[in-house]
Amino acid sequence: MTSAASGAAAPRPVPLLQVRDLGIRHDGSATATPASATFSVARGEVVLLLGPSGAGKSTLALALNGLIPHAVPATIDGTVLVDGLDTRTTPVATLSTHVGMVFQDPDAQLVTGTLLDEVAFGPENLRMPVDEVLARSEDALRRVGLWDRRHENPDRLSGGGRQRLAIACALAMGSPLLVLDEPTANLDPQGIDEVYAALGDLVAAGDRAIVLVEHNLDAATAITDRVVVLDHDGHTVADGTVDDVLRGRADELHAMGVWLPVATIAALRLRAAGWSLDPLPLDPAELRAGLEAAEAPASAVRNSVSTPFSGPQDPISADSAASRLNTEHTAAATEPLIRVRGLRTRRGRTEVLHGVDLDVAAGEFVAIVGANGAGKTTLLQSIAGVVRVPRGQVRVDGVDVARIDLRSLSRRIGFVFQNPEHQFIAHTVFDELAHGLRLQKLPADEVRERTLEVLRRFGLEDKADVHPFLLSGGQKRRLSVGTALVAGAPVLALDEPTFGQDRARADELMHLLRGLSEAGTTILVVTHDMQLVTEYAHRTIVVGDGTILADAPTSEIFADEALLQAAGLRQPPLRRAFAGLTRHPSLAGVTRLADLPHSAARVADVHTEGAS
Amino acid sequence: MTATTFDPYARVVAPGRFLFALNPLAKIAAPLPAIVLLVFARDLATPLAFLALAYAVLLAGARMTGRLVLVLLIAIPAAALLVGLGMSLWADAARVDTSVTILQIGGWTLYGGAVATGMATGVRLAAIVALALIAGISTNGPDLVRSLVQQLRVPYRIGYTALAAFRFVPRFGYELDVIRQAHRVRGAHGGRGPFAAIARWWGYIVPLLAGAIRHAERVALAMDARAFGAHPDRTERHLVPWRARDTVFVLVFWAVSAAILWYFFPWAVPAAS
Repeated sequence: MTSAASGAAAPRPVPLLQVRDLGIRHDGSATATPASATFSVARGEVVLLLGPSGAGKSTLALALNGLIPHAVPATIDGTVLVDGLDTRTTPVATLSTHVGMVFQDPDAQLVTGTLLDEVAFGPENLRMPVDEVLARSEDALRRVGLWDRRHENPDRLSGGGRQRLAIACALAMGSPLLVLDEPTANLDPQGIDEVYAALGDLVAAGDRAIVLVEHNLDAATAITDRVVVLDHDGHTVADGTVDDVLRGRADELHAMGVWLPVATIAALRLRAAGWSLDPLPLDPAELRAGLEAAEAPASAVRNSVSTPFSGPQDPISADSAASRLNTEHTAAATEPLIRVRGLRTRRGRTEVLHGVDLDVAAGEFVAIVGANGAGKTTLLQSIAGVVRVPRGQVRVDGVDVARIDLRSLSRRIGFVFQNPEHQFIAHTVFDELAHGLRLQKLPADEVRERTLEVLRRFGLEDKADVHPFLLSGGQKRRLSVGTALVAGAPVLALDEPTFGQDRARADELMHLLRGLSEAGTTILVVTHDMQLVTEYAHRTIVVGDGTILADAPTSEIFADEALLQAAGLRQPPLRRAFAGLTRHPSLAGVTRLADLPHSAARVADVHTEGAS
Repeated sequence: MTATTFDPYARVVAPGRFLFALNPLAKIAAPLPAIVLLVFARDLATPLAFLALAYAVLLAGARMTGRLVLVLLIAIPAAALLVGLGMSLWADAARVDTSVTILQIGGWTLYGGAVATGMATGVRLAAIVALALIAGISTNGPDLVRSLVQQLRVPYRIGYTALAAFRFVPRFGYELDVIRQAHRVRGAHGGRGPFAAIARWWGYIVPLLAGAIRHAERVALAMDARAFGAHPDRTERHLVPWRARDTVFVLVFWAVSAAILWYFFPWAVPAAS
């Protein structure tokens, strides 16, 4: 380590990676994204690359090992130098020994039948001697903790395990730089923890530099040395330490649409309310420590006395809906919209749900959570008639879903699959929406009228004649929600609607859902994202081993530490920060941003700008 | 410690079960002439002899799992019998030996000749399946690809890409399930009957292909990023050598096949009559 510093005259060592004024224009696209990115990475350094959705971060990642332009045709301006090699003229195979890549989808990186073969695949391609191949494979697998499972088929690993395997594969290439493009976007909370534990070990060893493109900053900031931020067009606008960029310019980044850790957003709100939180916290632990050290502002005393569920004036609060619902719920308790009694759903020969009882009143926003394989998706699919259920166990809007035909069912409940493409059946957006109405055998005029209305409502008027597959990701999602609701269903069921999506798109969808919820649609959603649950759901159902472990208002669920542990769930970040605060007991019940004391309109601005 | 003895992925060989120690190509090459000839054989004795040969090799050289026993003792004989009976009924009565009458229903007669022809077909198919099983149950995909690359000089870029494509199959199966569910929920089933079924499957193709192409592109990028195809060859960590015993196995098998053919000569009988 000290040998590098031996030459006193040498100014700065040549960086491992140098990106200068990089602009990339995909063939067939009019504008370059990123437009002009500039940064460098030194050996052993961990650089976090941030930017709003659409800034070209993934494109940039593909350019770092020459896949752009060698494998993906694109026009490149500026330069990318890796170890002094120009990626434009050096073949990808040569660059692969300098830059290792880990992509978002763990399944799309598997080629062989066992873990060991998988890791050996790269070194074998480099024609290394067998002993060297095995030595590298063993080392790489040991570093991610998978050596003991080397003979297994990668299919048997969890998502987090497969992503760790992908990291091992990149390590085995022997490259001094690893580029990880959204490595945890497709993972559940446990998988995210696994991957960051592996990356943490890697960073501690200090022998590899890392460029990390990641939205989930809650985990990433802990291992980051430096942060590079691209703006919406892909110009580098910030490049500095975590303290300088994330803490120092948080307001600016937030306004730009860069997703900040929830704890940081909460801290920005508290600051706006007069709290002094310095340095700005980046994770729940820091926020907690900051609050314990801080004096409550004079103005906050008045505000914070109010209990968390009393802020109807807050623009992002669902409280008004919740309180309205509570009254409705008691009034309409005699006839719930959804009534599940003794539900036993089978998949093949195994019984997945073991006698579930559940009532959902009209207008509720219900989250269904649970560990992997707990049966939450099966529960949702049983209610929506996607999987067959025994008769007499599920009633939606007064009818038994096991006895009803799909046409009538689609008038009562709409189901949105994880991947919107799966449910598209027509060749234009218009027909896609009209299909549900034509099934109802409505007159053509009415079909047309109602379709146009839904198109307007979901912002797709100008896309009526476009093929659904040619829409953008966010438009596809809106269309899939539209098709589920077009027949007039009062209930919308969504299975992991934000999985694998970036924050901006997830946010857009959740805003849409809240709008629907406020307009009276009953919403059931299965998700892993606990912060989304706490922000939006009135009520949370915890599923474990095919039964309901708990069913209560969301705030009560997340106040029950023992329950969360038993169900294999994580606490949402804000709960971790605020629960049991000793100095400010009035804040101890906070689980949502909406619960925070709000002083002025300024606070609301901060949030809505960032979310737009 | 040499690399070959260390390699932990080297398959555990079933002790005493010689089929697992043979090169996959040997296991394909040995029964191949017999399989081809059986396609043209018309008698009952030749396929029976080859069926016996295949069973002998499998019993001696394969590991007897419950599934294999079921296949050998029940599935193959039952299928042969079923196909044989079916073929007996199909056989053109004008072209078979009508000297023996087995069954007569009204004006329709089942002749012994028809049964013989039908059974010959059934046993023929059974023999072909049993011969193919010799390679089928004792070879895994990666080894077959390795021997194709190592002995037959199939370009490794093709061989290993095909191997990677195997991984797509379960994924697409799952994806197809989800798409079918989604389309059913949308009420896209469009009625009963073969034409509705075709329309329905056509509807699955677009989302399935869109997903498949995207997935294939991603896999290709991941393979490129790991230097796949960089050099004219790649390290073969797991050698699948062609040994003397492979040559012996193939030659002996061919010799036995020739002997069976010579003894029963299936084309002599019809030629003489």
